[in-house]
Amino acid sequence: MGFDLAIVAESLPRLAEGLALTLALIAASLAGGALIAGPATWALLRPSRWLRSPARAYVWAFRGTPALVQLFVIYYGLAQFEWLRETSAWAVLREPFWCCVLAFSLNSGAYTAEILRGAIAGVSDEQAEAARALGLSRGRIFRLVVWPQALRLALPPYGNEVVGMIKTSALASTVTLAEITGVAETIAAETFAPYEVFLSAAIIYLALAWAAERAVAAAEHRRSWPQ
Amino acid sequence: MGALTGWLDEFAWGAFLILRVFLVAAAFTLVFGVVGAAARLSGGVWARLAGVYVTVFRGTPELLVLLLFYFGGAVTLTALARLADPGAGFVDIPPFWAGALAIALIAGAYATETFRGAFLGVAPGQIEAARALGLAPWAILLFVRLPQAWRIALPSLGNHLIGLMKDTALVSVIGLNEIMFTAKMATSVTGQPFTMFAAVAVIYLAFTTALSAALAAAERRARRHLAR
Repeated sequence: MGFDLAIVAESLPRLAEGLALTLALIAASLAGGALIAGPATWALLRPSRWLRSPARAYVWAFRGTPALVQLFVIYYGLAQFEWLRETSAWAVLREPFWCCVLAFSLNSGAYTAEILRGAIAGVSDEQAEAARALGLSRGRIFRLVVWPQALRLALPPYGNEVVGMIKTSALASTVTLAEITGVAETIAAETFAPYEVFLSAAIIYLALAWAAERAVAAAEHRRSWPQ
Repeated sequence: MGALTGWLDEFAWGAFLILRVFLVAAAFTLVFGVVGAAARLSGGVWARLAGVYVTVFRGTPELLVLLLFYFGGAVTLTALARLADPGAGFVDIPPFWAGALAIALIAGAYATETFRGAFLGVAPGQIEAARALGLAPWAILLFVRLPQAWRIALPSLGNHLIGLMKDTALVSVIGLNEIMFTAKMATSVTGQPFTMFAAVAVIYLAFTTALSAALAAAERRARRHLAR
């Protein structure tokens, strides 16, 4: 048993084909997560319990359960409902790709909402007070004063969330999608060379995580306080 | 919901198995974290090796690490068995151990960074004061440095342990018959996948909620001598 570099060289191009699907999953899920996080954060910050409690329950449920379980509830679970299978939404919901995007978006939305809530709470109250003293409207206080500063605070934890999503996307292989991990499983079954194949896949993921970290660090740098 | 009643004992067994995977993996996580942090703090080759460990295991999908361990372990063990006995068949690592070790190595990579930061985070004045009191180096480590480092480490270690709890769900992928397996089996009999997988989600939610409460209590205990 040795380490066969020829297998690595053969696997890499095939794994790269899975890369496109991995990237599509990550992009769609992060976008979906951001769309959900907006209203969820808004509700988390309301004084009204009727708005805050459901948002809290959502964040608690999706941060407290494994993403794999969330994916299976949606991928296997939704078929239980006759009425859902009769709607036109079923054409989308029976596709493993869209099940993954839905599950990962709901997962990411919960984490992102919690990040944004913490960031907005982290902007000091005096900033909003000063803006109010200057006569800015509530909408403009949020848009021009609080939000830009919150975004700066949210970037480092959001970077972790992006890396988390890169890793979560691998779960799509459990519902038959041939993204990087799915392709790696296929090649490993053909070649009986798990080390070579899975390590090659790991290198691609590490490169993705590295790129994401660089991108977030660059965005952070652009938004850093003037020295 | 009625479909669940016949399966409660299976779910209870599966949940018990999840707890066992978690406890074994949590013990290994602490070991990997302490060894990794010691290596990172020692400098030289060991520090660089530990750095590679942290980078690789934090940046690779958990599922991939698990597959690598399970299938890689099987190939290695089979090769070893054939060295001893050329006619030996296929040998594989029990999924329980492959799974627990793999998820512990991942959480251990996070714990390495947490422990390293916590060890360095103890105020230098504390060490100086202990030295001025004439404490032996081992006593400084045991009674001054570690208890304070533990307090600093707890909040982020807690997050990694909750992550570890959720990672136990992945062990079903390499064939451990825990609650995910129960849910699949129950689905094929009752035809109610949503009910069954929702039950799994509820079990996990109960585990992670209980674990957070326990961790919050541990944090309060570690801070009990501090004025608030």
